[in-house]
Amino acid sequence: MSLSSLAVGDEAVITSIDGDVRFLSRITSIGLTPGSKVKVIKNDRNRPLLLYSRDTMIALNKKECENIKVQEGVA
Amino acid sequence: MIDGKQVIALLGQPNSGKSTLFNGLTGLKQHVGNWPGKTVEKKEGSFVRNGKEYIVADLPGSYSLSANSDEEMITRDYIASGKADAVCILADSSQLERSLFMLSDYAGIDVPCFLVLNLADVAENRGKKINVEALKKHLSIPVVSLSAPDTKKYDELYKCMEEALTKKTVLDASKLEAEYEKIEGYSELKAMIPDGVIKGYSKTWLAAKAIEGDKAVKEAVSQRLAFDDKARFIQIISKSEKGTLATSKCKYDWINSLISEAVVNNESVQPFGKFDKAITHKVWGKPLVILIVIGGLLGSFIPALPFMGIGMGIAALIPPLQSGLLEAGVPNFVAGLICNVLIQSVCYIIQMLGFVFGVTLVFGMLEEIGVMARISYVFDNTMGKLGLQGKSVMPCLVSFGCTMGGAAGARVIDNWGQKVLTIAIAWAVPCGAAWAIIPMLSSNFFGAGALLIIVIILLVMLLHMFVTAKIFGKMLVKKEDRYGIIMELPPYHKPKVGALMRYALGRSKDTFFRVVKVIIPICAIFWLLSYSASGVAEGTILYKVGTFIEPVTKVFGLNWKLFTAYVASSVGKEGAVGVLSALYANTGTIFGAVAGTNAANDMQALITAIPKPEALAFIFAVTFNVPCVVAVAATYQETHSAKWTAIISAYYTVGSLLLAFIAYHIGMLIW
Ligand SMILES: Nc1nc2c(ncn2[C@@H]2O[C@H](COP(=O)(O)OP(=O)(O)O)[C@@H](O)[C@H]2O)c(=O)[nH]1
Repeated sequence: MSLSSLAVGDEAVITSIDGDVRFLSRITSIGLTPGSKVKVIKNDRNRPLLLYSRDTMIALNKKECENIKVQEGVA
Repeated sequence: MIDGKQVIALLGQPNSGKSTLFNGLTGLKQHVGNWPGKTVEKKEGSFVRNGKEYIVADLPGSYSLSANSDEEMITRDYIASGKADAVCILADSSQLERSLFMLSDYAGIDVPCFLVLNLADVAENRGKKINVEALKKHLSIPVVSLSAPDTKKYDELYKCMEEALTKKTVLDASKLEAEYEKIEGYSELKAMIPDGVIKGYSKTWLAAKAIEGDKAVKEAVSQRLAFDDKARFIQIISKSEKGTLATSKCKYDWINSLISEAVVNNESVQPFGKFDKAITHKVWGKPLVILIVIGGLLGSFIPALPFMGIGMGIAALIPPLQSGLLEAGVPNFVAGLICNVLIQSVCYIIQMLGFVFGVTLVFGMLEEIGVMARISYVFDNTMGKLGLQGKSVMPCLVSFGCTMGGAAGARVIDNWGQKVLTIAIAWAVPCGAAWAIIPMLSSNFFGAGALLIIVIILLVMLLHMFVTAKIFGKMLVKKEDRYGIIMELPPYHKPKVGALMRYALGRSKDTFFRVVKVIIPICAIFWLLSYSASGVAEGTILYKVGTFIEPVTKVFGLNWKLFTAYVASSVGKEGAVGVLSALYANTGTIFGAVAGTNAANDMQALITAIPKPEALAFIFAVTFNVPCVVAVAATYQETHSAKWTAIISAYYTVGSLLLAFIAYHIGMLIW
């Protein structure tokens, strides 16, 4: 499932990320890689997703979230 | 080495405290300029320790050492140039896992380096304990834990620096390399890479970057390969699709193995407090942001007041000085030049600078505290409609108060094209000076209709922003840069008022020298044009030129008097009404009006003399004209591009005349 379909409070593990080189290098440099654990802090309509990962609060545009697939629950 | 002095280059992700450390090390000994041929700001400073002078170079901020932006390429080239004797890599101790990414991306570069674990106080408050010695051993470079704002406790830092410089400590990348070797094709790639492709960059680093699909590395390496090898090289790279994911996994695995040995209590959570809940609220978030901005703009006046006082104080000395000079036999022309141009413009600039200082201070504080990042989150979708990201909202909002402040606020936007586009759009927002004169003019001319005019101005503003975004968007923001927000929301920090003050003063000083260079010549020209020996308007060059081109300006509904006032409004909008008054009712000199020293304006004379359609044309022309000279200077200061500053200025001149044209002809239909 995609990252943006998670609800507030959900924890998940990133399974895959799609996109061009630019996007991949940007997203990984902020700490999101396959295998990262994430926790959703806020997921409002028409707002970026707020999530917590590697000790960092991250705001992510919804469109970009579509390219990030996750598996719910903490492995 | 630069001029025989050793150079320390600072490298760190945003929010790692790089600027704080740079300022802490160099104090006021800094030099800001451009990287040659680039629109990226170059900051260099120096400090003296034990009688030796060192140079500190701020490598332009970026998240990694990929080749995706000018900033990152400049940083890479600088490291390869060999200028830096040691690179100081910063990480945020409270978010080590993520912020060591820069270190891991640096691993494999042979230029000596040392690691600064900054924000040690924050980490400590969160109960994190970092074993610096263990890190040192694993990385085989000097490591120091630091609170950058506390400049009295830099001893350890200096020791690390000296150790890195004398022992030329190179980061041990062998464990990371072991991780890379698990990636398919990595070892083969590495074996193919010849020696010394890019100075300072090892084969390990180059191979990892090649796997990531790094264009610059790909080119540099393949140039050096024989035909067959080249084909094989390209083949491996193209097979490792999404190589960035593979290498970054290696990097984080490496970081985690470091951390697991060196950090106690790594699990800590950044609180999501009451203020965070309020400002990110679905309904209340935006109103709260607007309140904060209004508060900020009002607050900017407080630090601005002393400057304004000084400016007005000096201005008050002009009349006695002028009569004194005249009595002493100085010719009228020279006395005018000294008093009305030189002193007058300096007064004007000092008053403007007050606001520059205030806005820089207050909004710098909001940025430091971490409020800015939240604001960007709240407005990301709205700004997305203009092809911009959330960070662009602040410049647009601040521009309601002061366009210069808006332009300066665009500094936080990390992509150059988006930054320039943001400033271009923010110019369409009528500033405080426009709001001071437009409602007054409108209500004098149109009574209750003024309300409608203001609504229309706001609508035109939105349309203008949208059109500007469309026109410039394609040129400035490349398609691959058009992704939305990917941003860290940093934890709240207490602002360092002292450091901020120094920063705001430094920037105001910078603006001062830039603006003086522009304003004094402009004022001198304007003064000459409006000078007449007899003192009547008909004797001025302005009159002659104005009446000569009047047939053209009339098309836009502007007779020569209105056009003169319009031209004056691009120096500063406050002056526009005064100029009209001076021309129509002789309430002082034209020049005095621009500089704001004339007595009260005679509105009644204006109302009887100016037909309504022309008044309407004038209102639109002035509102959407170039905001003021200071805004132009600030735009140049932030974009680092004279070309784009000129393009935007020309665009707004044409745009405002076009709007005046439309307003005039609609007015003609009505009245
Ligand atoms: N408590 C604390 N705050 C710091 C420290 N270093 C920097 N800051 C604050 O962290 C924020 C970001 O710092 P800045 O130097 O602007 O980071 P940059 O983006 O890397 O240039 C600012 O609010 C600083 O005042 C530190 O060691 N301790």
